[in-house]
Amino acid sequence: MSVSDNSAVIQIDQLTKQYGEFTALDSLSMQVEQGQIMGFIGPNGAGKTTTIKILVGLLKPTSGGARIAGADCLSESRKIKKLVGYMPDDFGKYNNMRVSEYLDFFGAVYGIARKPRLRRVDEVLEIAGATYMKDLFVDALSRGMQQRVALARTMMHDPEVLILDEPANGLDPQARIDMRTLLLKLSDMGKTLIVTSHILPELARVCDVVAMITKGKLRAFGTVDSIMKDIQQRRTFEIQLLQRERVADATKSVQNWLDQQADQEKGGPGTATGAEAEQMVRFNTSLADDAIAPLLAQLVQQGQPVSQFREVATDLEDAFLHVANEEQVSDGPAEPAQVAAS
Amino acid sequence: MNPVIRREFIGILRSPRAFGMLACLTLVFSIAVLMRWPSDASVDLSGLQSLQVFRIFGYGMMTGVIFLVPAFPATSLVNEKNSGTLALLLNSPMNGASIYLGKIAGVLLFSLLVLLCSLPASAACYAMGGISGDKFLFLYLVLGLLALQYTTLGMLISSYVQSSDAAVRLTYAAVFGLLFLSLLPDAFFRGTAVGGAFAAQTGDWIRNLSPLPAVMEIMGQGSVGSFGLKTLPGFTRFILLAVLSAVGLAFWTISRLNHRIFDQSRSKGVITDDRKAMSRVFRRLVYIVDPQRRKGGIPWYLNPVMVKEYRCRRFGRAQWLLRLVSVCAVTSMVLTYMAATGITSWGVETIGALLVLLQVVLVIVLAPSLGSGLISGERDSGGWELLRMTPISSFRLVFGKLMSVVWTLLLVLMATLPGYVMMVLIAPELTLQVQQVLVCLLWTSIYALAISAAVGSLFRSTAVSTSMTYVVVISVFLLPLLVWLGRDAPFGFQTVQTALMTTPVGAALSVIDAPGFESFELLPESWWIAGVLSSLMFLVLGVQVWRLSRAV
Repeated sequence: MSVSDNSAVIQIDQLTKQYGEFTALDSLSMQVEQGQIMGFIGPNGAGKTTTIKILVGLLKPTSGGARIAGADCLSESRKIKKLVGYMPDDFGKYNNMRVSEYLDFFGAVYGIARKPRLRRVDEVLEIAGATYMKDLFVDALSRGMQQRVALARTMMHDPEVLILDEPANGLDPQARIDMRTLLLKLSDMGKTLIVTSHILPELARVCDVVAMITKGKLRAFGTVDSIMKDIQQRRTFEIQLLQRERVADATKSVQNWLDQQADQEKGGPGTATGAEAEQMVRFNTSLADDAIAPLLAQLVQQGQPVSQFREVATDLEDAFLHVANEEQVSDGPAEPAQVAAS
Repeated sequence: MNPVIRREFIGILRSPRAFGMLACLTLVFSIAVLMRWPSDASVDLSGLQSLQVFRIFGYGMMTGVIFLVPAFPATSLVNEKNSGTLALLLNSPMNGASIYLGKIAGVLLFSLLVLLCSLPASAACYAMGGISGDKFLFLYLVLGLLALQYTTLGMLISSYVQSSDAAVRLTYAAVFGLLFLSLLPDAFFRGTAVGGAFAAQTGDWIRNLSPLPAVMEIMGQGSVGSFGLKTLPGFTRFILLAVLSAVGLAFWTISRLNHRIFDQSRSKGVITDDRKAMSRVFRRLVYIVDPQRRKGGIPWYLNPVMVKEYRCRRFGRAQWLLRLVSVCAVTSMVLTYMAATGITSWGVETIGALLVLLQVVLVIVLAPSLGSGLISGERDSGGWELLRMTPISSFRLVFGKLMSVVWTLLLVLMATLPGYVMMVLIAPELTLQVQQVLVCLLWTSIYALAISAAVGSLFRSTAVSTSMTYVVVISVFLLPLLVWLGRDAPFGFQTVQTALMTTPVGAALSVIDAPGFESFELLPESWWIAGVLSSLMFLVLGVQVWRLSRAV
C-alpha cells in the first residue's frame, strides 16, 4: 500500500496527526499517479478532511509527510498552493459579487495577469457548464450552481492536482451525471484528482483508485476491482433455472460439488441454498473463476435447465461496510448501536 | 406560555455573553454607588451626592440599553430565517403575531433584567435622600420604552436583511441615527428664521425621538442641543413618540411575517454590455459609474483583496461611494454657508464643532461596520480557508482589507474639506486650528479602524464581532464625552481632561474651541495616546492573523 514510486504525483508517507491523546491520522501512506482519480472514502470523522488539509498545507502533520509533484506540503507551501486546487465542502460565498467578479478576484489573487484572467474566467465557466451564470450574483445561486462555480474557481489557476471535497453534494441527478462527466474530462486533461464523497456508487463509476479510511487508519487502497477482490473472500453466485421443481435437485448437486472442492476453499467449503419461488440456486465460494467453470459444465451435463449463471456484483458500498465492520472487530467490541447501524 | 418566549428568553439567559453583560452591569452600578457613598457621619442635606450618583447610573443605564438591547432583536429574525427555523415556525399553527410577540417578549424580559440590575444601586441612591421617587419612576419608564423602541426597530431591520452582521450594523446605525442625528434639525432651526415656526416645532418633535433630551431633563440638566435655553418638557413627548413608533414598527414587522419573507430572488438585471448601442451610449452619458456594466477585471496595480472588499459591500460600489461623499460635501458646505451668511446665530466655532461631530459620528458608525468583519466575515463565510489556499501573503491580505476601510474613511473626511476651507476663508486666523482638527480626525479614523479590526478579528461569528466592536468603539469614544458631561460634578477638571485625552475627538473639539471644551489642553498628548493605542491594536490584529493563517 505504501509503495514509493517516482511517477506518483501525490505521495503520502506515514502521515500521522495527533491532537493531544486523540489520533486523527495514523501512519497513512498512499500514492496517486498523474491523471488518476482517487476516491477518498470514510465515515464522518474518519480523517479525510485532516488528510486533505495536510495535503494543501493548512495543517501540520505530527509526523510523516506528503509531497505533491515533488513539493513538500509543509515546507514548500507556496509551490503547493500553485499546484493544487482545493474545493472545500463550504462554498466560500461573497455577497454582492457577480460570478465573473468572483472568479476574477480569485484569478487576481493567484497572480494571473488581467487579460489571460478574463479569458480564463470564460474557459473555466465553460468547463464547469456554468457560462450562463456569469452575470448572476454569487449569493443568489442555488447549491448545485454553487458547486459548479466552486469547481470553476478551483480550476482558475489551472492546477495540476484538484482536491474536491464532496463535489456531488446537493446536486440533482442530472447535475451528478454532469459532474461525473466533468471529473472524467479533467482526468483526460491530465489532472490528478482526489474526490471525497458519501455517494459511493458515484465514486465507483469514475475513480481509478479508492482509499478507504476509518478512525485515521487506511483500511483499503487500490483499484475498485482489486479492493472488491481483497474484500470478497467469498463471492456469491446465482444459477437461474427454468423449472421450479428442479431447484432442490440442482441445489443438492451444487452442494456436492462444493464439498468435493473443500480442500481448495479458503475457510471451509461453500454453501448452496435453493429458492423455489425464484427458481434460483445461490452459492458462495472462495474459488477463482477457472475453478468454478467446471460446475456449470457438470450441471449442464446432468441436464439441469440452467438459463443463467452469474456472479452477484458487490458494489463499493458493500465493500465499505465490510471494511468498516472488520475495523470494528479489530478495534474491539462495537457498541450495540454501531452494530445495528452497520 | 408562548413556546417562542420560553425558547428566546431562556436562550438569551443561557448565553455566557448575556451573563457576562449582566454581571458587569451589576458590578458597575455597585461601584458607582460605593464611590459616592458617604464615608463620614455628616449628612448631605442638599442631596448633591445622591444626585451625582443618580446621574451616573441614569446615563449608565441609558448607555447599557443603547449598547446591549439592539444586538438581540437585530439577529433574532434573520438568524431564524437563515437557519430555516422561521419556515418551520410559520408552518406551525402559530401565526405571525404570536411568533413576533414571543420573540419580542423574550428580548424585553432580558431588557427588564438589565434594568433590574440597577435596582440595588437605585435603592441606595434613593436612601441617600434628596431625589424624589417620581424621578426614578420616570427614568425607568423612559428606559423601558427606549428598550421597546429599539427592540421593535431591530426586529423590523432583522426581517429585511439577509445576514446577521448586516442586521447588527444597520440596527446600530439606526439607533445612533435616532440618538444623535434626530437632535440636528432642532439645533438648526431653533432661533432662526429658516422655515418659520413650523420648522422649529417639527425640529423640536424630531429631537424628542432621541432619549437624550428626556433623560437629561429627568437628571435636572436641561436638555442637549438647547445651548442653555430653557426648553419645553421633553420626556412626555419622548414617551408618546416611543409608544407610537414601537406600535407602528411592530405592526410593520408582523405584516412581513409570512411566506413572502422568503422571497429572495435577486435578478442579475440587464447588463449594459448586452444592451443595444444607443442604450449603451445613453447610459454612458447618464451614469458616472454604471452599476450594470460588466467589470473589466482587477488591474495589476490594485490589491485584489481591497477591490473584493469594496465589491462585497452593498454600498461599497463606486456609485454609492460617490453618493456618500457628495452628501458629506454638501452638508459641510451648507453648514459653513449658514455660518458665513448669518442665517444662524452660531459662531464659526460652533459650526466647526458641528462639523467635527458630524465626522466623528460618521467615523464611529462606519469604522466598526467596515472594520469588524474584515477577518470574522471571511471565517464566517468559509472564505478564509480559500484565501489561505492562495499564494497571497497574510500581510497583503490584511493590508488590502485595511486599505478598503482607510480609503472609505478618507473619502468621508475629505468630503468635508470644502466646509473647512470656507471656514478658513471666513476666519483666516483659524488655519492652524483647522489643520490640527484635521490631524485629530485622521487619528480618530485610524484609532477607530484599529480597534474595529483588532476586536473584530477575535471572534468567529460576524454578528458577534460586529456587536462587540460597536460596544468597544462607542465606549472608547463616548465614555470620555459622558465624563465631560459631568465636568462640574461629580468629575473634576483634571479627571475630565485625562478622560478627553484618551480619544482624539476631545482634542478636536478642544482645538476648534467648541462650547464647553475651550479650557482643556489636550495636544499633543492625545495624538501620542491614539498613536500608541492604535499601534497596539494593529499588533493584536497582526498576531491574530498570524495565528489564524499558520498551519497547526
